[in-house]
Amino acid sequence: MRRFGFALIGLLALASIAAPQNAPAPAAPGSPIGPPKGPPLSGPALDAGTDDVAALLRCPVCQGLSVADSPATMARNMKIQVREKLAAGYDQEQILADFERSYGEFVRLKPPMRGVNWLVWLGPVGGLLAGGAAVAWALKRSSAGAGPAETAVRASAASTASDWPSRETLPDDPRLAAAVRRVRKLAYGWPDGIPPKGLSSAP
Amino acid sequence: MPAVSTPGAAPARASRLNTRVLVAGLAVVVPLLAVLVLNLGRDPHSVRSPLVGRPAPAFSLAPVGGGAPVGLDSLRGRPVVINFWATWCVPCFEEHAALAAAARTFREVQFLGVVYEDDEAATQAFLRERGGAYPSLVDPEGKAAIAYGVFGVPETFFIDGSGRIIDKYVGPLDRGTIATLIARAKGGAP
Repeated sequence: MRRFGFALIGLLALASIAAPQNAPAPAAPGSPIGPPKGPPLSGPALDAGTDDVAALLRCPVCQGLSVADSPATMARNMKIQVREKLAAGYDQEQILADFERSYGEFVRLKPPMRGVNWLVWLGPVGGLLAGGAAVAWALKRSSAGAGPAETAVRASAASTASDWPSRETLPDDPRLAAAVRRVRKLAYGWPDGIPPKGLSSAP
Repeated sequence: MPAVSTPGAAPARASRLNTRVLVAGLAVVVPLLAVLVLNLGRDPHSVRSPLVGRPAPAFSLAPVGGGAPVGLDSLRGRPVVINFWATWCVPCFEEHAALAAAARTFREVQFLGVVYEDDEAATQAFLRERGGAYPSLVDPEGKAAIAYGVFGVPETFFIDGSGRIIDKYVGPLDRGTIATLIARAKGGAP
Protein backbone atom coordinates (compact mmCIF):
# COMPACT_ATOMS: atom_id res chain seq x y z
CA MET A 1 0.00 0.00 0.00
CA ARG A 2 2.77 2.40 0.92
CA ARG A 3 4.74 1.36 -2.10
CA PHE A 4 1.67 2.16 -4.15
CA GLY A 5 1.61 5.61 -2.59
CA PHE A 6 5.22 6.28 -3.45
CA ALA A 7 4.73 4.98 -6.94
CA LEU A 8 1.81 7.36 -7.32
CA ILE A 9 3.84 10.32 -6.11
CA GLY A 10 6.66 9.39 -8.47
CA LEU A 11 4.24 9.07 -11.38
CA LEU A 12 2.71 12.42 -10.53
CA ALA A 13 6.07 14.08 -10.54
CA LEU A 14 6.99 12.45 -13.84
CA ALA A 15 3.68 13.49 -15.33
CA SER A 16 4.34 17.08 -14.39
CA ILE A 17 7.68 16.88 -16.20
CA ALA A 18 6.30 15.19 -19.24
CA ALA A 19 3.09 17.11 -19.75
CA PRO A 20 3.80 20.83 -20.13
CA GLN A 21 0.28 21.70 -21.22
CA ASN A 22 0.73 20.40 -24.73
CA ALA A 23 -1.60 17.46 -24.48
CA PRO A 24 -3.50 17.32 -27.75
CA ALA A 25 -6.66 19.36 -27.50
CA PRO A 26 -9.70 17.63 -28.92
CA ALA A 27 -10.17 20.02 -31.80
CA ALA A 28 -10.71 19.78 -35.52
CA PRO A 29 -10.43 22.39 -38.25
CA GLY A 30 -13.49 24.03 -39.71
CA SER A 31 -16.14 24.60 -37.09
CA PRO A 32 -14.22 23.21 -34.15
CA ILE A 33 -16.75 23.56 -31.42
CA GLY A 34 -19.75 22.60 -33.54
CA PRO A 35 -23.24 24.00 -33.36
CA PRO A 36 -24.44 25.61 -30.12
CA LYS A 37 -25.45 22.92 -27.65
CA GLY A 38 -27.39 25.02 -25.18
CA PRO A 39 -30.13 27.61 -25.20
CA PRO A 40 -29.11 31.21 -25.98
CA LEU A 41 -28.77 33.09 -22.70
CA SER A 42 -29.88 36.63 -21.96
CA GLY A 43 -30.46 38.95 -19.02
CA PRO A 44 -29.33 37.86 -15.52
CA ALA A 45 -28.69 34.28 -16.71
CA LEU A 46 -26.21 35.64 -19.26
CA ASP A 47 -24.46 37.75 -16.61
CA ALA A 48 -24.20 34.82 -14.21
CA GLY A 49 -23.10 32.43 -16.97
CA THR A 50 -20.40 34.87 -18.13
CA ASP A 51 -18.99 35.10 -14.60
CA ASP A 52 -19.07 31.31 -14.20
CA VAL A 53 -17.18 30.61 -17.43
CA ALA A 54 -14.76 33.52 -16.90
CA ALA A 55 -13.88 32.08 -13.47
CA LEU A 56 -12.77 28.85 -15.20
CA LEU A 57 -10.48 30.63 -17.68
CA ARG A 58 -6.92 31.63 -16.88
CA CYS A 59 -6.02 35.16 -17.87
CA PRO A 60 -3.04 34.61 -20.24
CA VAL A 61 -1.29 37.88 -19.42
CA CYS A 62 -1.65 37.63 -15.63
CA GLN A 63 0.02 35.56 -12.93
CA GLY A 64 -2.47 32.97 -11.75
CA LEU A 65 -5.59 35.11 -12.13
CA SER A 66 -8.83 34.05 -13.70
CA VAL A 67 -10.41 36.07 -16.48
CA ALA A 68 -13.21 36.92 -14.06
CA ASP A 69 -10.78 38.39 -11.50
CA SER A 70 -8.40 40.19 -13.82
CA PRO A 71 -8.69 43.85 -14.83
CA ALA A 72 -6.36 43.34 -17.85
CA THR A 73 -7.56 44.35 -21.31
CA MET A 74 -6.97 40.82 -22.56
CA ALA A 75 -9.18 39.42 -19.81
CA ARG A 76 -11.87 41.99 -20.57
CA ASN A 77 -11.76 41.01 -24.25
CA MET A 78 -12.00 37.33 -23.39
CA LYS A 79 -14.97 38.06 -21.17
CA ILE A 80 -16.67 39.85 -24.07
CA GLN A 81 -16.15 36.75 -26.22
CA VAL A 82 -17.52 34.47 -23.48
CA ARG A 83 -20.59 36.65 -23.25
CA GLU A 84 -21.13 36.65 -27.03
CA LYS A 85 -20.80 32.88 -27.21
CA LEU A 86 -23.18 32.27 -24.32
CA ALA A 87 -25.67 34.64 -25.94
CA ALA A 88 -25.33 32.58 -29.12
CA GLY A 89 -26.15 29.39 -27.21
CA TYR A 90 -22.73 27.76 -26.85
CA ASP A 91 -22.37 25.88 -23.59
CA GLN A 92 -19.56 26.18 -21.03
CA GLU A 93 -17.55 23.22 -22.31
CA GLN A 94 -17.73 24.44 -25.92
CA ILE A 95 -16.46 27.87 -24.92
CA LEU A 96 -13.61 26.45 -22.84
CA ALA A 97 -12.68 24.13 -25.71
CA ASP A 98 -12.61 27.10 -28.07
CA PHE A 99 -10.13 29.04 -25.92
CA GLU A 100 -8.16 25.86 -25.42
CA ARG A 101 -7.59 25.63 -29.20
CA SER A 102 -5.69 28.92 -29.03
CA TYR A 103 -3.97 28.77 -25.66
CA GLY A 104 -3.79 25.07 -24.91
CA GLU A 105 -4.90 23.38 -21.74
CA PHE A 106 -3.04 26.15 -19.87
CA VAL A 107 -6.09 28.37 -20.27
CA ARG A 108 -8.28 26.10 -18.17
CA LEU A 109 -7.99 26.81 -14.46
CA LYS A 110 -9.58 23.44 -13.74
CA PRO A 111 -7.71 20.67 -15.58
CA PRO A 112 -10.15 18.48 -17.52
CA MET A 113 -10.44 14.88 -16.32
CA ARG A 114 -8.50 13.11 -19.04
CA GLY A 115 -5.13 11.48 -19.64
CA VAL A 116 -2.39 12.33 -17.15
CA ASN A 117 -4.71 14.86 -15.51
CA TRP A 118 -6.32 11.95 -13.71
CA LEU A 119 -3.18 11.87 -11.59
CA VAL A 120 -3.81 15.44 -10.51
CA TRP A 121 -7.35 14.58 -9.51
CA LEU A 122 -6.72 11.17 -7.96
CA GLY A 123 -3.16 11.70 -6.68
CA PRO A 124 -4.11 13.59 -3.49
CA VAL A 125 -6.88 11.10 -2.67
CA GLY A 126 -4.54 8.19 -3.35
CA GLY A 127 -1.79 9.80 -1.27
CA LEU A 128 -4.22 10.36 1.60
CA LEU A 129 -5.40 6.76 1.47
CA ALA A 130 -1.83 5.44 1.31
CA GLY A 131 -0.75 7.70 4.17
CA GLY A 132 -3.78 6.69 6.25
CA ALA A 133 -3.05 3.04 5.62
CA ALA A 134 0.59 3.54 6.63
CA VAL A 135 -0.42 5.30 9.86
CA ALA A 136 -3.04 2.62 10.65
CA TRP A 137 -0.45 -0.09 10.06
CA ALA A 138 2.10 1.62 12.32
CA LEU A 139 -0.49 2.15 15.09
CA LYS A 140 -1.64 -1.44 14.89
CA ARG A 141 1.93 -2.67 15.13
CA SER A 142 2.78 -0.57 18.18
CA SER A 143 -0.50 -1.38 20.00
CA ALA A 144 0.10 -5.11 19.47
CA GLY A 145 2.90 -4.68 22.09
CA ALA A 146 5.55 -7.16 21.13
CA GLY A 147 6.13 -5.84 17.67
CA PRO A 148 9.05 -7.36 15.81
CA ALA A 149 11.40 -4.52 16.72
CA GLU A 150 10.58 -4.71 20.42
CA THR A 151 11.00 -8.49 20.44
CA ALA A 152 14.39 -8.06 18.88
CA VAL A 153 15.48 -5.60 21.56
CA ARG A 154 14.30 -7.91 24.35
CA ALA A 155 16.01 -10.88 22.80
CA SER A 156 19.25 -9.00 22.54
CA ALA A 157 18.97 -7.87 26.19
CA ALA A 158 18.43 -11.45 27.29
CA SER A 159 21.35 -12.72 25.27
CA THR A 160 23.48 -9.92 26.69
CA ALA A 161 22.70 -11.13 30.19
CA SER A 162 23.44 -14.77 29.50
CA ASP A 163 26.50 -14.30 27.32
CA TRP A 164 28.18 -11.80 29.60
CA PRO A 165 30.93 -13.42 31.66
CA SER A 166 29.98 -13.75 35.29
CA ARG A 167 31.70 -11.73 38.00
CA GLU A 168 33.81 -14.70 39.08
CA THR A 169 35.51 -15.45 35.77
CA LEU A 170 38.84 -13.92 34.97
CA PRO A 171 40.57 -13.30 31.66
CA ASP A 172 43.35 -15.69 30.70
CA ASP A 173 45.94 -12.94 30.43
CA PRO A 174 47.58 -12.79 33.92
CA ARG A 175 48.26 -9.02 33.79
CA LEU A 176 44.70 -8.30 32.71
CA ALA A 177 43.38 -10.72 35.35
CA ALA A 178 45.31 -8.84 38.04
CA ALA A 179 43.86 -5.55 36.85
CA VAL A 180 40.33 -7.02 36.87
CA ARG A 181 40.85 -8.23 40.43
CA ARG A 182 42.00 -4.78 41.52
CA VAL A 183 38.89 -3.25 39.97
CA ARG A 184 36.65 -5.84 41.65
CA LYS A 185 38.32 -5.14 44.99
CA LEU A 186 37.61 -1.43 44.58
CA ALA A 187 34.10 -1.90 43.16
CA TYR A 188 32.75 -4.70 45.31
CA GLY A 189 35.03 -4.60 48.35
CA TRP A 190 36.16 -8.21 47.79
CA PRO A 191 39.54 -8.91 49.41
CA ASP A 192 42.09 -9.23 46.55
CA GLY A 193 39.17 -9.07 44.15
CA ILE A 194 38.22 -12.67 44.86
CA PRO A 195 34.50 -13.20 45.39
CA PRO A 196 33.48 -14.54 48.78
CA LYS A 197 32.27 -18.16 48.85
CA GLY A 198 28.56 -18.73 48.35
CA LEU A 199 28.01 -15.75 46.04
CA SER A 200 25.64 -16.65 43.27
CA SER A 201 26.95 -16.19 39.79
CA ALA A 202 24.21 -13.76 38.94
CA PRO A 203 25.65 -10.31 38.32
CA MET B 1 37.82 -11.51 25.09
CA PRO B 2 34.42 -12.96 24.27
CA ALA B 3 32.65 -10.15 26.09
CA VAL B 4 31.25 -7.38 23.92
CA SER B 5 29.92 -9.03 20.78
CA THR B 6 26.23 -9.43 21.59
CA PRO B 7 24.67 -5.95 21.31
CA GLY B 8 25.25 -6.31 17.55
CA ALA B 9 21.67 -7.49 16.88
CA ALA B 10 20.07 -4.13 17.69
CA PRO B 11 22.28 -1.93 15.45
CA ALA B 12 21.78 -4.35 12.56
CA ARG B 13 18.03 -3.96 12.94
CA ALA B 14 18.32 -0.19 13.16
CA SER B 15 20.41 0.07 10.02
CA ARG B 16 17.87 -2.03 8.12
CA LEU B 17 15.13 0.37 9.23
CA ASN B 18 17.24 3.33 8.17
CA THR B 19 17.67 1.87 4.71
CA ARG B 20 13.91 1.59 4.36
CA VAL B 21 13.39 5.15 5.55
CA LEU B 22 16.11 6.28 3.17
CA VAL B 23 14.54 4.51 0.19
CA ALA B 24 11.11 5.91 1.07
CA GLY B 25 12.53 9.41 1.43
CA LEU B 26 14.38 9.16 -1.86
CA ALA B 27 11.22 7.93 -3.59
CA VAL B 28 9.56 11.20 -2.59
CA VAL B 29 12.46 13.61 -2.88
CA VAL B 30 14.12 12.47 -6.11
CA PRO B 31 11.07 12.99 -8.38
CA LEU B 32 10.44 16.39 -6.81
CA LEU B 33 14.07 17.39 -7.35
CA ALA B 34 13.83 16.16 -10.93
CA VAL B 35 10.80 18.37 -11.48
CA LEU B 36 12.63 21.34 -10.01
CA VAL B 37 15.84 20.78 -11.97
CA LEU B 38 14.02 20.23 -15.27
CA ASN B 39 11.55 23.07 -14.91
CA LEU B 40 13.19 25.80 -12.83
CA GLY B 41 14.82 27.42 -15.85
CA ARG B 42 11.58 27.49 -17.78
CA ASP B 43 9.65 30.67 -18.33
CA PRO B 44 6.18 30.02 -16.92
CA HIS B 45 4.76 31.95 -19.87
CA SER B 46 6.51 29.97 -22.59
CA VAL B 47 3.65 27.62 -23.27
CA ARG B 48 4.02 25.78 -26.55
CA SER B 49 1.31 26.95 -28.88
CA PRO B 50 -1.24 24.25 -29.69
CA LEU B 51 -1.78 26.09 -33.00
CA VAL B 52 1.58 25.12 -34.51
CA GLY B 53 0.86 22.57 -37.22
CA ARG B 54 -2.82 23.52 -37.33
CA PRO B 55 -4.71 25.76 -39.77
CA ALA B 56 -4.26 29.42 -38.93
CA PRO B 57 -7.43 30.97 -37.47
CA ALA B 58 -9.25 33.02 -40.09
CA PHE B 59 -9.73 36.76 -39.67
CA SER B 60 -10.74 39.77 -41.69
CA LEU B 61 -9.42 43.03 -40.27
CA ALA B 62 -9.27 46.60 -41.52
CA PRO B 63 -5.86 48.22 -41.94
CA VAL B 64 -4.75 51.07 -39.72
CA GLY B 65 -6.06 54.32 -41.19
CA GLY B 66 -8.93 52.60 -42.99
CA GLY B 67 -9.31 50.67 -46.23
CA ALA B 68 -10.64 47.34 -47.41
CA PRO B 69 -10.41 44.57 -44.78
CA VAL B 70 -7.62 42.06 -45.26
CA GLY B 71 -8.64 38.43 -44.83
CA LEU B 72 -6.29 35.50 -44.37
CA ASP B 73 -8.34 33.41 -46.82
CA SER B 74 -7.51 35.79 -49.68
CA LEU B 75 -3.79 35.13 -49.13
CA ARG B 76 -3.87 31.36 -49.71
CA GLY B 77 -1.08 30.03 -51.86
CA ARG B 78 1.70 32.23 -50.49
CA PRO B 79 3.46 32.19 -47.13
CA VAL B 80 2.21 34.75 -44.61
CA VAL B 81 4.03 36.30 -41.66
CA ILE B 82 1.71 37.77 -39.00
CA ASN B 83 3.38 39.99 -36.44
CA PHE B 84 1.44 41.04 -33.33
CA TRP B 85 2.84 44.33 -32.09
CA ALA B 86 2.11 47.60 -30.29
CA THR B 87 3.68 51.06 -30.12
CA TRP B 88 4.07 50.74 -26.34
CA CYS B 89 6.22 47.63 -26.79
CA VAL B 90 9.95 48.39 -26.80
CA PRO B 91 11.12 45.08 -28.36
CA CYS B 92 8.63 45.77 -31.19
CA PHE B 93 10.67 48.90 -32.09
CA GLU B 94 13.77 46.74 -32.30
CA GLU B 95 12.29 44.21 -34.65
CA HIS B 96 10.34 46.69 -36.78
CA ALA B 97 13.31 47.52 -39.00
CA ALA B 98 14.18 43.82 -39.45
CA LEU B 99 10.60 42.97 -40.41
CA ALA B 100 10.35 45.91 -42.82
CA ALA B 101 13.63 44.91 -44.48
CA ALA B 102 12.49 41.29 -44.73
CA ALA B 103 9.18 42.39 -46.28
CA ARG B 104 11.14 44.21 -48.98
CA THR B 105 13.48 41.24 -49.53
CA PHE B 106 10.93 38.42 -49.54
CA ARG B 107 8.41 39.82 -52.02
CA GLU B 108 6.70 36.44 -52.36
CA VAL B 109 5.81 36.45 -48.68
CA GLN B 110 2.87 38.51 -47.37
CA PHE B 111 3.76 40.34 -44.17
CA LEU B 112 0.96 41.56 -41.91
CA GLY B 113 1.06 43.45 -38.65
CA VAL B 114 -1.77 43.10 -36.15
CA VAL B 115 -1.95 45.91 -33.62
CA TYR B 116 -2.34 44.57 -30.09
CA GLU B 117 -4.14 46.61 -27.46
CA ASP B 118 -3.13 49.97 -28.85
CA ASP B 119 -4.56 53.26 -29.89
CA GLU B 120 -5.09 53.68 -33.65
CA ALA B 121 -3.83 57.27 -33.66
CA ALA B 122 -0.60 56.27 -31.88
CA THR B 123 -0.16 53.43 -34.36
CA GLN B 124 -0.61 55.76 -37.34
CA ALA B 125 1.93 58.19 -35.91
CA PHE B 126 4.42 55.36 -35.35
CA LEU B 127 4.04 54.08 -38.91
CA ARG B 128 4.35 57.59 -40.38
CA GLU B 129 7.54 58.15 -38.43
CA ARG B 130 9.24 54.81 -38.99
CA GLY B 131 7.66 53.76 -42.25
CA GLY B 132 5.57 50.68 -42.83
CA ALA B 133 6.55 48.19 -45.50
CA TYR B 134 3.38 46.12 -45.09
CA PRO B 135 -0.17 46.60 -43.82
CA SER B 136 -0.86 46.74 -40.11
CA LEU B 137 -4.37 45.70 -39.13
CA VAL B 138 -6.60 46.94 -36.33
CA ASP B 139 -7.84 44.18 -34.03
CA PRO B 140 -10.93 45.42 -32.20
CA GLU B 141 -11.52 43.69 -28.86
CA GLY B 142 -8.40 41.61 -29.51
CA LYS B 143 -10.32 38.91 -31.36
CA ALA B 144 -7.44 37.92 -33.62
CA ALA B 145 -4.97 38.04 -30.71
CA ILE B 146 -7.13 35.68 -28.67
CA ALA B 147 -7.75 33.38 -31.64
CA TYR B 148 -3.97 33.13 -32.13
CA GLY B 149 -3.36 32.55 -28.43
CA VAL B 150 -1.22 35.65 -28.03
CA PHE B 151 0.25 36.13 -24.55
CA GLY B 152 2.01 39.41 -25.21
CA VAL B 153 3.86 41.33 -27.90
CA PRO B 154 5.84 40.81 -29.98
CA GLU B 155 4.69 37.42 -31.19
CA THR B 156 5.03 36.35 -34.79
CA PHE B 157 3.37 33.52 -36.69
CA PHE B 158 4.79 31.95 -39.85
CA ILE B 159 2.10 30.43 -42.07
CA ASP B 160 2.67 28.31 -45.16
CA GLY B 161 0.85 28.56 -48.50
CA SER B 162 -1.82 26.11 -47.41
CA GLY B 163 -2.73 28.28 -44.41
CA ARG B 164 -1.07 26.09 -41.79
CA ILE B 165 0.90 27.62 -38.93
CA ILE B 166 4.49 26.40 -39.21
CA ASP B 167 6.09 28.38 -36.40
CA LYS B 168 5.31 30.78 -33.61
CA TYR B 169 8.10 33.07 -32.47
CA VAL B 170 7.88 34.90 -29.14
CA GLY B 171 10.05 37.99 -28.70
CA PRO B 172 11.85 40.37 -31.06
CA LEU B 173 12.97 38.88 -34.37
CA ASP B 174 16.23 39.55 -36.16
CA ARG B 175 16.82 39.25 -39.90
CA GLY B 176 18.53 35.89 -39.68
CA THR B 177 15.71 34.31 -37.69
CA ILE B 178 13.11 35.77 -40.04
CA ALA B 179 14.93 34.27 -43.05
CA THR B 180 15.19 30.85 -41.38
CA LEU B 181 11.54 30.75 -40.38
CA ILE B 182 10.38 31.98 -43.81
CA ALA B 183 12.40 29.18 -45.40
CA ARG B 184 10.54 26.71 -43.20
CA ALA B 185 7.17 28.23 -44.07
CA LYS B 186 8.07 27.98 -47.77
CA GLY B 187 9.17 24.37 -47.34
CA GLY B 188 5.71 23.52 -46.07
CA ALA B 189 3.99 25.16 -49.05
CA PRO B 190 2.19 22.86 -51.47
